[in-house]
Amino acid sequence: MSMKHTELTDDLQERASLYAAGAMTEDERLEYARHLEEDQCPVCQAEVKELQSAISFFALTLPPSSPSAAVKIRLMEQARGNAPAAQQRPRGFRWVERVSAALAVLAIAVAFVLSRTNTDLRHQADLLRSRIAQLEVQLAGQQNTIAMLTSAGVRVVDLAGQGSNVQASGRIFWDQQQKRWFFSIRNLPPAPPDKSYQLWFVPKTGNPISATVFNTAADGTLSVEVPVPNEITELKAAAVTTEPLGGRPQPTGDFALLGAM
Amino acid sequence: MSEQHQVEDDDRVLIQRMASKDANALDVFYTRYNRIAFSLVFRIVRNREDAEDVLTDVFWQVWQQSSRYDASRGKPLAWLLTIARTRAIDRIRSMGRQDLHNHQQREANPAPAAPDPVIVSATRGAVQEALQSLEEQQRIPLEMAYFQGMSHTEIAAALGQPLGTVKDRIRTGMMHLRKRLRPYL
Repeated sequence: MSMKHTELTDDLQERASLYAAGAMTEDERLEYARHLEEDQCPVCQAEVKELQSAISFFALTLPPSSPSAAVKIRLMEQARGNAPAAQQRPRGFRWVERVSAALAVLAIAVAFVLSRTNTDLRHQADLLRSRIAQLEVQLAGQQNTIAMLTSAGVRVVDLAGQGSNVQASGRIFWDQQQKRWFFSIRNLPPAPPDKSYQLWFVPKTGNPISATVFNTAADGTLSVEVPVPNEITELKAAAVTTEPLGGRPQPTGDFALLGAM
Repeated sequence: MSEQHQVEDDDRVLIQRMASKDANALDVFYTRYNRIAFSLVFRIVRNREDAEDVLTDVFWQVWQQSSRYDASRGKPLAWLLTIARTRAIDRIRSMGRQDLHNHQQREANPAPAAPDPVIVSATRGAVQEALQSLEEQQRIPLEMAYFQGMSHTEIAAALGQPLGTVKDRIRTGMMHLRKRLRPYL
């Protein structure tokens, strides 16, 4: 097979398919890889490129799962240890580094003088304590969210944009043990001033039940936690409609997002 | 420019930065895709500890080979997933079938997580639809090859089908997938 092909035949298409799917025997795979690399066959390369992209999408259908944080730490330590310092900045910027160093020394000297004032020190300490408290609250919230998203009883439901909001999408993480939804939206423009969005639980039988009334941010996003009432166990869908400002007891407006359970 | 194209352009810039040994670019690339790559590796090796080892190797290979990435040969995500799949299959082959069987018995369900945020949900939906539209007789040999690293001869033996039939079904399945996913390739 030491040649460049000029047209795609059924046989070549079959070889490209088997290669991309990983279904060749080892000998076939090595020979075909050599054909792609050494012969630089444009017909086979183009076919393999598309088919490898197509088959790689299999991964998108798998349930997402996270590696432990240790993987990233190990990887980044390896990479940072390997990164040659000389390549991190261009040579032409050395004068900038010198000026920066001088400024840094000056800043340290100024900071030293300032720090001699006890009042300033106490003020700085108060600011830092306040900032630490804020970060602890943020961290606790994020840990709570992560714990919810990774717990065993979580269902994921995707909502698709409807009508003029076809570009919008939503996702619900339904924590069935804690009876709550973590609901996020992307690309849904804020509702007009006289309108609100309303999220609905749609039971298998009976009328929809209002989950919450909201509006999206200027960038079209929303993240909100919604409690799920005890009586709700079986749903056929979740929906977002556009309603008069403040929402309505039952949906009256157009669907903005809809997702089947 | 669509959101998907913007993501791909950003990915190419990250790979260029990795090629000039900018570790921050690796950090961002890892943050973007560690979950989808881990899901794929875990699906193949079926053991968290091994999957994490393989995942480290995958991103290390991305870092080391970033200067050899050729944009004309495929999109960054497809490149990453091809590396991930290859490294994971290498791992199960090195383990031997008995060890693999034990691993699969031991750990079948990873902890769920949110998907990688840069993968556009429309793409994910289209892929789900494309795979669901595959006939089972095409999907099964494709999955046996892709996720278990089985060759066409092994698949034919396992399914008790003629080799020509298996090859044809793999080809037909791939053509179908490509046709359905063409807007995303």
